[in-house]
Amino acid sequence: MVENFLAGTSALFGDPFTVAIFVFGVVGGMLFGAIPGVSMLTLAAILLPFTADLEPAQGVMLFAVIYCTGTYGGAITAILFNIPGAPENAPTAFDGYPMTRKGQSGKAVGAAVLCSAIGGVASALVMMAATEPLANWAIRNIGPPEIFALVFFGLAVASSVGGRTIWKGWMSVLLGLLIATIGQDPVGGINRYNFGFTDLAAGIAFVPAILGFFAVSEIFVQAEKKATGQFDAPKVGMSFPTVLELWMHKFAVLRSILVGFFCGILPGIGATLAAFMGYGEAVRWSKNKEEFGKGKLEGVISSETANNAATGAAMIPLLALGLPGGALTAMMVAVFQMHDLEPGPLVFYNSPDLIWIVFAAMFYANLSILFIGLIETKTILYLLKIPFQFLAPLILLLATIGAYISRGLVLDVMVMFGAGILGFLLRRTGYSIPGIVLGLILGKIGEQNFAQGMQMVHYDLGTYFSRPICSILIVAGALTLAAGIYRAFSPASNSA
Amino acid sequence: MNKLLGIGVAATMMMAVGGTANAFECKVTEASMDKPGGFPERALTMVVPYGPAGGSGQVAAAMAEGVTGLTGVAINRDHKPGGSGTVGMTAYMTSPADGYNVLEHIDDASSAHALDSSRPNPAVDLIPLVVSQVTFSQIYIRTNETRYDDWNSFVAWVKAQGGKATIANVSKEGSMERVTMKFITDATGMEIQQISFDKGAPRYGALLGGQVDALFEQPGDVRKFLDADNFKPILTIFDERPSVFADVPTHREMGMDFDPLLRFRGFYVHKDAPADRVKWLQWAFQRGYCQDSYQAFNDSKFMNVIDSYRDTAGARELIARSIDQYRDVYKSMGMDVK
Repeated sequence: MVENFLAGTSALFGDPFTVAIFVFGVVGGMLFGAIPGVSMLTLAAILLPFTADLEPAQGVMLFAVIYCTGTYGGAITAILFNIPGAPENAPTAFDGYPMTRKGQSGKAVGAAVLCSAIGGVASALVMMAATEPLANWAIRNIGPPEIFALVFFGLAVASSVGGRTIWKGWMSVLLGLLIATIGQDPVGGINRYNFGFTDLAAGIAFVPAILGFFAVSEIFVQAEKKATGQFDAPKVGMSFPTVLELWMHKFAVLRSILVGFFCGILPGIGATLAAFMGYGEAVRWSKNKEEFGKGKLEGVISSETANNAATGAAMIPLLALGLPGGALTAMMVAVFQMHDLEPGPLVFYNSPDLIWIVFAAMFYANLSILFIGLIETKTILYLLKIPFQFLAPLILLLATIGAYISRGLVLDVMVMFGAGILGFLLRRTGYSIPGIVLGLILGKIGEQNFAQGMQMVHYDLGTYFSRPICSILIVAGALTLAAGIYRAFSPASNSA
Repeated sequence: MNKLLGIGVAATMMMAVGGTANAFECKVTEASMDKPGGFPERALTMVVPYGPAGGSGQVAAAMAEGVTGLTGVAINRDHKPGGSGTVGMTAYMTSPADGYNVLEHIDDASSAHALDSSRPNPAVDLIPLVVSQVTFSQIYIRTNETRYDDWNSFVAWVKAQGGKATIANVSKEGSMERVTMKFITDATGMEIQQISFDKGAPRYGALLGGQVDALFEQPGDVRKFLDADNFKPILTIFDERPSVFADVPTHREMGMDFDPLLRFRGFYVHKDAPADRVKWLQWAFQRGYCQDSYQAFNDSKFMNVIDSYRDTAGARELIARSIDQYRDVYKSMGMDVK
């Protein structure tokens, strides 16, 4: 492995043009990841035709690098402005933005930079060591019932985050689950709650909903404070997390690497579930659960470690089996095909040089997050000094463009503003915005896999428990729910 | 050994496909055509009702490259996924009928009209410019499967399971896959649970990992698994054996007497678009099909195994026949045909 890695490194940095492509991918991924709506997918779609003129290894490497740095890029806007660059950065905003409000933006961004790099590098190392056996294990042991059980467990764990009371946290998640049912059902294709509007048959897209619930509702909240003379501008905090602070979160980092890697390896799941599950696990293992959603460093650490840990893992089913884990890895299949290659077992046999250049590039791209991230952080934090009356319209403009651009539907802009108004009202009454987003995103994944799982077990729920991983996750989720109900009935919760 | 065997099979397939490609003759003889009144003066917009990474996204990109290479006219692809293609179709129908807007769509548009006649009929409410991909479906099993190894043993095994056997497909209400599976189960008397996966990766992963017992798919979509010797076809749902799959029996040979439903992808323009512009677009897209880059793309997708080309008249005939077929089946299934 070391010999192959060194050979990949040599090929990567031995050619100036390849180095230029690598640098372009690193910077481009970060930039496009940071702009809401205009995600790394946008950059990848723009670049796709041009990869035909590159060497196969250069083309695939470029996309792999964009995947690594783009996943990190969205964390910056999530932390500074409550605008997650992509759904996989949404959990980062849960605690990252409250930290900014408390004047701890530097600490949050610094932790995101470091933990994204750690998660990505760890993931890349495991990817290099064990791609084929891990991919084969995953597809044999993880099917729709297990993915549903994983989502159920994740919802049970994280459902109480951010609500004023446990009940309000759960109500928020249920609202998110309800919104997730809008559109065609994932198995039969039957329209639900579209009220005759064709565009609603496609359901509520994640990006406009996230922009509305986070960015727009936040602007409404701050505008109200401005109007009532209660506005308190976020302070620019330049202090980075100390070594001691980071060391105190070593188990959170390790846990998120494992969770992120596990989620990333599942075909069709990817970094979004990883981020939510990483965050959820942080809540579950914490002794101070009530601090999450209010500006807890561990929330940022867990989310950002997990989503970047999913990047290397998502390459495993792609390269070993030809199964993309998400939209960007699906585009990588097109890059392979443009060069008459197919990802899958034969790639290791036919193009080992390409594989190791890609592996090396992903490793160094994750390291680059650390260096470039720390340099840019010093500059980017000063964006917070822009006065609210200028910043708010700019954010609204960017969010509106971001909501529209992904599908070109006016409906998505309406959804964004609707979500913004709903979020504004719900926040005033103590409901949880993270809970709604959690329900919306995990609800779609969970429902699809539940329906597929039910078909697989012939509509016999009991059969779920004959699958070991599935039964463990369901039992763990049920116990978590039971503990939550117990806490909800305790006097401390009701008095909140 | 398996890998070597797989490479051998892949090489044989490539040679066979290559033979098909070498025999290709472009049916549009005019190498160039004057732009009517200067049209198009700017880039065309192609509405694609599916995401960029799937089959439709890829064929749209390949055709756009072919047409642009031929004419120098840029084509911007506007992906509007969702609602099994209805979101993109609705957006397209409300766009200006000036010839600058074209649509990519698949046979789902035909089946949607068959079920609900208020939905646009692609052969009547639109003008097909070209159908550039026509393919058939197959049933696949894992190559290392030990419980059955051909169609007859598969059917016998499925019957012995008493309805517990599973097959992965896209079995949404009224889809080509579900209708074809009804034909098959009616003809064989077997009962099999269909598991609907709307994305390719989890669908193929389900068969690779043994989560399901078989897979219903088109050969171009699983080519890499055939090349890698992971999957093997045990039934071709087509009237004759394509040369590339000469060892695989057809459904008719296995005693199933139904007309196969084909998967097809094509390009359309509004029926009210100016006639001279439509004529130019027909030439550009039909000739674009002949471009080397497009033919190489179709080759890579097993899309030249049978004749993938339909001009406007041929596309209308294909669509009309499909709509009639779907409508008959929907009625026989007791579905609410409007």
